Order: sequence, then structure tokens, then C-alpha cells
Amino acid sequence: MGGYGDVQLLREDGKRLDGRAVDEMREVEIKAGFLPAAEGSAWVKHGLNVAVAAVYGPMEAHPRKIQRQDRAVIDVRYNMAPFSTSDRIRPGFNRRSREISKVTAEALESVVLVERYPRSKIRVEIEILAAEAGTRCVGITAASVALADAGIPMKDLLVGVASGKIDGIVVLDLDKAEDNYGQADLPMGIMPNTGEIAFLQMDGDLSPEEYDLATEYNFKAAHEIHELMKQALLDSASGGDV
Amino acid sequence: MAQMVPQLLRQQLAELASQDKRFDGRGRWDSRDLILETDILYNAEGSAKVVLGDTIVYAGVKFDVASPYSDRPTQGSLMTGAELRPVAHRKYEPGPPSPESIELGRVVDRGIRESGCIDMEALCIVPGEKVWRVMLDLHVLSDRGNIFDACATAAIAAMRTAVVPAERFDVGEDFKLELSSTPIMCSYQRVGGRYVYDACEQEEIGGDERIHITLGDEGHLHSLQKGLRGVLSPAEFTEILAQAGDRCAELRELVHSKEA
Repeated sequence: MGGYGDVQLLREDGKRLDGRAVDEMREVEIKAGFLPAAEGSAWVKHGLNVAVAAVYGPMEAHPRKIQRQDRAVIDVRYNMAPFSTSDRIRPGFNRRSREISKVTAEALESVVLVERYPRSKIRVEIEILAAEAGTRCVGITAASVALADAGIPMKDLLVGVASGKIDGIVVLDLDKAEDNYGQADLPMGIMPNTGEIAFLQMDGDLSPEEYDLATEYNFKAAHEIHELMKQALLDSASGGDV
Repeated sequence: MAQMVPQLLRQQLAELASQDKRFDGRGRWDSRDLILETDILYNAEGSAKVVLGDTIVYAGVKFDVASPYSDRPTQGSLMTGAELRPVAHRKYEPGPPSPESIELGRVVDRGIRESGCIDMEALCIVPGEKVWRVMLDLHVLSDRGNIFDACATAAIAAMRTAVVPAERFDVGEDFKLELSSTPIMCSYQRVGGRYVYDACEQEEIGGDERIHITLGDEGHLHSLQKGLRGVLSPAEFTEILAQAGDRCAELRELVHSKEA
């Protein structure tokens, strides 16, 4: 969290600068299956964020040393396009994207029925085209839809959501200013059907009570996004407009 | 074939868990012995060694003078790196930083940074031109489980004993790096279906996901990280958070006791 400077993020009326209530998320739009080359794909717009995910495989795992005898491995690449932020990003992997790729892969391996595909690899490519806070969560949502679109069996659709703290108040789904000047961020990958958490990170400052409230907000939002994900998959399956 | 061994180990760990036992005989929330030494490396401006059972790590702090980031002209900066060298275990190979070492460095970094314990403004030399850059390096020499807590404990202890070498850089007198609080990390791993504290090597090989919690002086959360494959319920998190509160307080006292 930045936490620098005295930027007021809550208005006199208790609403946030963009007019949202504290427990209101940004608008989410999801499309499944629109990248022709991929086995499965998704496009997710979450506020001003845009993420695209493609799934290739299951395929033989190379090199041999990454193979698992008893299950598939999921190879995630989270990548931010050079034009996705206000300052251009140098193309290629950096420490941040490597870490996000690792924990996202581990979260997806927790929900995909990887035991069905021993010795194989499932490639998940997450491309962030526009970044405006919360991209790792948007990437998780997109990756789950793409995996479902590829017909890969999962325990649940994993939903990426985040809550945080601004001006000492817990709020759902931080935007860019709130992320920069807020006091905490709690991104989660939630399985709405089982009520479990498969992805968890946090930074900033939260009391245990604030953590509980932020988690409650995250679960509420996860259920809402979950409906949109299912609808996108249904639309795609029925040849809807994508 | 090496992966068949973890399967057998998993069965053994599950059986032990069903009797509420652990591989090395500890209770569920018990730590291995942790020995902390500080100010032990002559050329490091702050240093610490942690021996946690058979896990051994060093942390060293160095400083240099750098230009500030353009959006923070009056603030110094912190850089944290972690090395998982081949010396530490047969599973580590030489080469560029692995995702594991990057995650380790970044999770330790976030706990310290996000607690706000470093007064970055105090690390400004000439606004907009020169600031102190704190370089914290974590060096794992023996990985027999739970290198995260070993590194995080060594890191905060090294930071809390560090002296900024201003005289050597000809920018005033040496001064102690003042930290306003002591963030402490506690890590929990699912072994045999339930969470345990301070997993040993066998518990890591035959275990599932792990959770790293960094708490500040007031018991506030400053960093969370879930690593590896597996899921948890909110109730399980509540349970380990309560355990972390107690253990962090003990470790904080230990770190404070090693300050000169």
C-alpha cells in the first residue's frame, strides 16, 4: 500500500470518490470463449481493468522435470502489456509478475481436478491489457472462466476479489486512487460453492475485526461475480454474442 | 519416481495427524528451538543469524546512496532479496532467481514495509537527489523446513540492529536505523489435513498449502500470503490467526532481547 500523502478518499456523504458505497464493487463484464486459437478463453472488464486469459492443453508436460506422475501441473503466466499502465512497463517478466504467476498457479491447481491429467500440463496465459488496481484478481476470474470454457473439470469457479481500507474504513474493491493512497488491500480467490479460499494475499494494516469485515465483503462480491461468470459461459455455449 | 515417496509420507503424516501427533513429536502449535544471534557479520551494517531446528539462515543489511524515486523525492527505499543457493539443499540448483526465492523475498519485504516501521523520510539525505537505499539480503544456508519464518525473524532482527554508515559515504555521522515497530511473521502449513506451526522438512514434502501471517506490535495484520496447492476455510484462518497472535508476541520479545 502506498499510504503516502493526505488524500481524502471518502466524501462527506460517506460515499467514495467515484460515488460507490463502501460495500459496492465496480462494474464487471465477462465474455467467455472469444480467442479462436485457444482451447478456452475469457475477457473480463472489471471497472477500468481489462484482462484476457487463454488456456492451452492439457498437453504433455515439458521439460520432463516439471512432470508430476499423479496430476497435471498448471503453468500460469501473468503478464502486463507495456501499454496497460500510465507509465509504459518494460516488457517481460519481473519479480512482481513472477510471484503473482506462482501463487495464481497454485490457487488454480487447488480447484482444477488435476488428478484427471497425470504427467500433463495446462497452460494458462493471463494478459492484463488495462491496469487500474486489482489486476491479479481480475486475472484469476478470467483464468477460471477460460479453464471452464476449455472444458477442464474444476471443483468450483474461482473468483478473484479484493477489499481494502481507505481513510480507516473497510471498503470493497479498491480502485487505483484507493489502492495508491489506501491503508490495506486483501485480495482473495474464493470458491463460492464451497465457501473456501484458494488464493490469499494481503498488505497494509488491518485489525482482526477489519479483516473479518473485508472477508465478508469479498465473499459477497464473489457470489455476484460468480453469477456473471456462469452467465458468460452459458452465453458462449449457446453461441451468444462474443 | 521421487514423487512416490511423498505419497507414502503423506499417508504417514495423515495417520500421525489422526492421533494428533507430528513427525518429530511436537505438538500442533509448537515451534522447533529458535536461536537468534545479531550483529555477527563485520562488514554488514546489520546482521542476524537464525537457527530454527536444522534450518539456518543469515540476514544482512547494507546501505548505499541512491537517487530517490521521482514520485517520492524525500524518501529512502528498501530492497529485499532472497537467495536459495545450492548450498542450502540438494533440491536447489544454480541459476537465475526461482519463483520460490522471489516469493520468499517479497513476502518478507511486504511484512516489514507494510507495517510502516521504517521512517522512509528519515532516510532522505538531499531531497530529490540523494537518499539512503536499504538493501536487505536473506541467505538460506540450510533448508530443513520453514525458511520463511527463519528469514523473516532474521530480517527484522538485522534491521533493528543496523547502523547507517553515513561517515563512510561522507554524508554526516553514522546513525542507528530507527524502526518504530517489530513486525513478526508466523507460518502455518496444512499437514495431514490440519494446520501446524513451523513445518519441518518432511511436513513440507508431505503437506499442502501454507499461510504466512505478519503481525505488528498491536496485533494488526500487515501481510498475508497463501502459497502452494490447497484451500482453506475462513474458520481455519481465524484459528491460526489466534495462534499467530501469541507466537508473534513471543518472537517479538526475543528479537527485542537481542538488541544492543
